[in-house]
Amino acid sequence: MDHALTLTGVTKRFGSFTAVSDLSLEVPKGCIYGFLGQNGAGKTTTIRMVMSIFHPDSGQITVLGHPDAAEIKDRLGYLPEEKGLYKKMKTAEIVAYFGKLKGMDSRTANSKARELLTRYGLGDWLDKKCEAMSKGMGQKVQVLGSIIHEPELVILDEPFSGLDPVNRDTMKDIILDMKRQGRTVIFSTHGMEQAEQLCDYVMMIHKSKLQFAGTLTEVKKGRDLGIQLDYDGDGRVLAELPGLSRLNDNGKHAEIYLEPGADPQQALRWLVDRVTVKRFDYSEPSLHEVFVRTVEEADAKLALAGSTH
Amino acid sequence: MASKTLLVAQREYLDNVRTKTFWIGILAFPAIFALAIGIGWIMQKTKAQQSYTVLDLSEQKLGERIEANARANDRIASLRRFVEQAGASEQQLAEIDAIDITDPTTWLDKVRGAEANVDPSKAAQLQRMVESLAEKYRFVPPAELGAAEGSQDDREKALRERVRDGRLFAYFVIDGDPVADAAKLTYVCNNLTDDALKDWYAGAATRVIRKLRIAAADIDPRTARHIQETITWKPRQVTASGDVEDVRNEQKANKFAPVAFVYLLWIAVFTAAQMLLTNTVEEKSNRIIEVLLSSVSPGQLMAGKIWGIGATGLTIVVSWAVFGLIGVEIGSQLIPKIAEWNLTAIARDPLYLASFIGYFLTGYLLFAAVLVAIGSVCNSLKEAQNLVQPVFLLLMIPLFAMVPIVQEPNGLMAKVFTYIPLYTPFAMMNRASGPPAPIEYAITTVLILVSVWLAFKAAGKIFRVGVLMTGNPPKLKEILGWLREK
Repeated sequence: MDHALTLTGVTKRFGSFTAVSDLSLEVPKGCIYGFLGQNGAGKTTTIRMVMSIFHPDSGQITVLGHPDAAEIKDRLGYLPEEKGLYKKMKTAEIVAYFGKLKGMDSRTANSKARELLTRYGLGDWLDKKCEAMSKGMGQKVQVLGSIIHEPELVILDEPFSGLDPVNRDTMKDIILDMKRQGRTVIFSTHGMEQAEQLCDYVMMIHKSKLQFAGTLTEVKKGRDLGIQLDYDGDGRVLAELPGLSRLNDNGKHAEIYLEPGADPQQALRWLVDRVTVKRFDYSEPSLHEVFVRTVEEADAKLALAGSTH
Repeated sequence: MASKTLLVAQREYLDNVRTKTFWIGILAFPAIFALAIGIGWIMQKTKAQQSYTVLDLSEQKLGERIEANARANDRIASLRRFVEQAGASEQQLAEIDAIDITDPTTWLDKVRGAEANVDPSKAAQLQRMVESLAEKYRFVPPAELGAAEGSQDDREKALRERVRDGRLFAYFVIDGDPVADAAKLTYVCNNLTDDALKDWYAGAATRVIRKLRIAAADIDPRTARHIQETITWKPRQVTASGDVEDVRNEQKANKFAPVAFVYLLWIAVFTAAQMLLTNTVEEKSNRIIEVLLSSVSPGQLMAGKIWGIGATGLTIVVSWAVFGLIGVEIGSQLIPKIAEWNLTAIARDPLYLASFIGYFLTGYLLFAAVLVAIGSVCNSLKEAQNLVQPVFLLLMIPLFAMVPIVQEPNGLMAKVFTYIPLYTPFAMMNRASGPPAPIEYAITTVLILVSVWLAFKAAGKIFRVGVLMTGNPPKLKEILGWLREK
């Protein structure tokens, strides 16, 4: 298969701290790929290495068939985790400026900037200065600045952080539009919902090490099925459910995992007597559950390895 | 590759140049400069009139003669200044200088005669000059102060009272026989810092008493004047062909011109370098650097910034130069004397002009490299300010060396400064009136270009790592480590 990005045994250390350890990964062309992991897990370092801002201590990175992203900067789009704009520049100007830096000619960049901003709901802001915008609007402007030159591969570091639902939807639209045009999108996120809804593939790094990578189905395969419960009532009783193994209670929604051999039907009956059940769904676990379980398992493994030393 | 540098430079330039504050700042400099000159002039003009009186107890009643002499002297001084500014010949000036104001019978006619030669259209101007000088000090007759009659003690008491209540600035007492012995002259005043009135009156008293003493000693007035002549040296210089010629004001101005240029150069380099530092730190704290680095290399980004802000600095300098030329033009129209200095010719001198532009660019580039490197490792302006303080102190030194170097443009100190790369642009500009030998121009040009190149290389290495760093600024050891990296 043709890959937009390949990492082979990539390791990066800062002094004695290992930020990314022996990471191997393949990102197929034309997909949406989610990078998951806790803060400080190594996602941003990985992305910066892909963008040739950092260089790996060992291992190889191939971006769009090239060993060095610096040589094909104009074919890549990048939204860093630390996002900023020139406050005194007008929105259309700054988006066009990013386009010009990627090699677009001035006229095309200007008209494309105005078109993009208008298409994604910032038509009233074309000639206003960036400093007047809210954070969410600024973030949209930044994303548009990173895709104006129609890159083949777009890497967005935390594109959803700090956005309200409306802007989050716009961000989703932008990402989906990119995919529909046949481009590859990689984004990192803490939001499991967005990853679950958008991604064809996900990978997760925990404490510098790759935990899993693959399609959502692959990632969830072999994990326990769980109960997705929407309910009204006092959620404290849920913890007393017979045969309960794990519970993620959100107040109105709960994810319930049973001991091996426990019967979901019995659980349903038990629940109906105690809370108002609005939706009961026995299905594969959410990405959220997979994420949390992976962190727990990995930490347990590390603790065990630490105690045997 | 280069086009991206150009894009960055263009953005930096436009970002600065199209703001209102930028142009206000440019205008403010000459405006403040003009104001500073103007304030001194206004203070001079608006200085309160000083009232004084004279308690004349002398046997010869010298008070009246001294008063008349002081006023006559003022009138002639005004006249002399006026005709000199109007470009009078040496002979005309000598005629005025020859008027003997101690001779009450002749001086007035002679002054009137000289005044009659003044261009009638400008006579009113001269008249105003004379009047304004006469108004500086006002003589109040003792009678108006209640000090005309009575014993010396009573009269002085009345005057002391007037000085105390402020109606009188000061009073003079002429007692005894000043022609024989001037020990009994007193000046009573509570302002201990402004001696102008005392000196003005003393000048007139000296002239009057000296004249009387000469007469008493039975010396021929012509002999006396001869003895009293102030000796001056007529400045001349050796020309290229080995002859001697008179020194003209214009040539003197030409020799001192580099001081003005160095000062302007210094302000321009300082301003531009400071802008670069602020800009780099802001951009870094704005978090925009990483976005830019996905499109341009750190080297391109740094070069773009330096050129863009360099162009901004050049815009400032050129604007000031234009204001300066306009100022000189206007000044020459108003005051003929300024025209004589021929400042516009100096400003247009190709050696000065080329030196200025060339040394602005190289001087700026050198300091820019240092400051952009400092800016790149700092997270806030506060941090940066602490770090750049030593750099700015280094930058101050050429200012102190300015006058000594212009006095001895090819001296040891000038030469030492010339070969310290950070100071080469300032020192060479400073020495332009020398001017240094062509070989020195050649050596320093190579020296400074190599220094700029090295500084850029080093700054590039620091910038590359520095701009992406957050947290504490790196230690010197770490920075040296970056410099060793390939």
